[in-house]
Amino acid sequence: MLEKIKFERFTAFEKLEVLFSPGINIFIGENGTGKTHILKSIYAACDIVKSKENFANKINNIFYPSEKQIGRLVKRSGVSSKGFVEISRKIDGERRATLRLSLSNHTTKVDKAIVTGATKYWREAPIDAAYIPVKDMMANAPGFRSLYDEREIHFEEIYVDIIRKAFLPLLKGPPDRSRRQLLETLQEAMDGKVVIKNEEFFLRSKGGELEFTLLAEGFRKLGLLWLLIQNGTLLNGSALFWDEPETNLNPKLMKTIVGILLELQRQGVQIFIATHDYIVLKEFDLQSLKTDNILFHSLYRGGKSGDVLVSTTENYLNINPNVIDDTFGNIVDREIEKAMGGLGK
Amino acid sequence: MIIQADGYQFDFTDAVDVFVFDEKDKSKPTYHGLPMKGVDIVAVFERQYVFVEIKDYDDICLYDESKNACEEERKRKHDHFKWLKNYLKYKFRDTFLFRYAEQKTEFPIHYICLLSFDNALNAIMNKNLVIELPVGLASCRWKQEIATSCHVVNLEKWNQNFPGWPAIKIGG
Repeated sequence: MLEKIKFERFTAFEKLEVLFSPGINIFIGENGTGKTHILKSIYAACDIVKSKENFANKINNIFYPSEKQIGRLVKRSGVSSKGFVEISRKIDGERRATLRLSLSNHTTKVDKAIVTGATKYWREAPIDAAYIPVKDMMANAPGFRSLYDEREIHFEEIYVDIIRKAFLPLLKGPPDRSRRQLLETLQEAMDGKVVIKNEEFFLRSKGGELEFTLLAEGFRKLGLLWLLIQNGTLLNGSALFWDEPETNLNPKLMKTIVGILLELQRQGVQIFIATHDYIVLKEFDLQSLKTDNILFHSLYRGGKSGDVLVSTTENYLNINPNVIDDTFGNIVDREIEKAMGGLGK
Repeated sequence: MIIQADGYQFDFTDAVDVFVFDEKDKSKPTYHGLPMKGVDIVAVFERQYVFVEIKDYDDICLYDESKNACEEERKRKHDHFKWLKNYLKYKFRDTFLFRYAEQKTEFPIHYICLLSFDNALNAIMNKNLVIELPVGLASCRWKQEIATSCHVVNLEKWNQNFPGWPAIKIGG
């Protein structure tokens, strides 16, 4: 279970520490407050367990700074400075392992960045992780993996990673009942199931097979989730990272998505979401049970220096600041101003 | 002018008059006494009227019909949301009728509902009320509005938007 992340002078953060829920972690905040950076950093630390890649290398491939100069990930300050990102994880419910990447803004090569902590222990304890990026890649899957492996193309590695996960073959043995139920719920929502032919994804329904390029992007996302559940990527002890699940999805579908995420959490999947969407927040508020573990992390700029800070709460109503609801509040203000003018001022 | 109603205290600093509309005390000149619904407060200004209705709920989710766990639950919450919307709507309309009979509807009337919902949910309620009151010259046959504007706000938004009418929660 991922426990916390610490940053010092890394990307958007001067100094920040976030403690995670073992269940669902929902990050909100204005653009530029680092939601995606948090998700990417944790995902990188998880992914190296299976890929055996160097942590610095993974971070560099995922963030993709200009000319892949890893030192550019140190927060800009105009002078020489050093920074780090550190992730802690509890293994087997007892022992803690920490992984830290330290670097300076002069570090140009990945092998000059320093990775410390219980690196061996970290890599030996298995964890599966999937990162669903904002942009859909499912329709671009044919040939993308080999293109990425053979050529220098300007894509953050999360895009090829998610395609690789989607292509994973089925786990041995039939899926258990709870997994079958989740798959059926998704099949109902997208009216079919996903099949793969020659590296291409299709939605198979009663009407026939529809290639993903012709399928609505929202359904492609449902299809991706279906594949990750079906091939066993999302099982007890795994971690799911989903950046803006609301993108390209009709708000009506969020009820289904959130229901599935809650159920995955009940089955032991730790979930990290970044969102700008009221419906996502409210669905979690409405559908969650008292036994569910949900934390809302609100990232905001505060203090004299305007650094990114975090405010964490279990209760939807206590999210403060709540940039999403504040936006609705701003509309309320403008409506009152327009209709009532100076009355009551 | 300070007034208390339904667990809140307001100070309408620039009002000409302000009173509890549904007054139960027979000795007061603003005694209501009719089997009609009524908003909590009417505030009178030089050339405007403001009707205020207050509803404070503990279980806010009870009224959020937009997303729910199951069909039965959705229906239950839809019923609650609809009930609340109708409650707010008919309170306004009956108050308007009463004031019409008093010949006191000559100025624009603004209707403000003070609820305990978040801004987003208030916005949904507001949209429904604007349509159903209805606000403005809703029919091509109308020569007069029954409501010039309608706003659903929580206490924080009230105080932000109406600093001249500060409101606080009183009692338990």
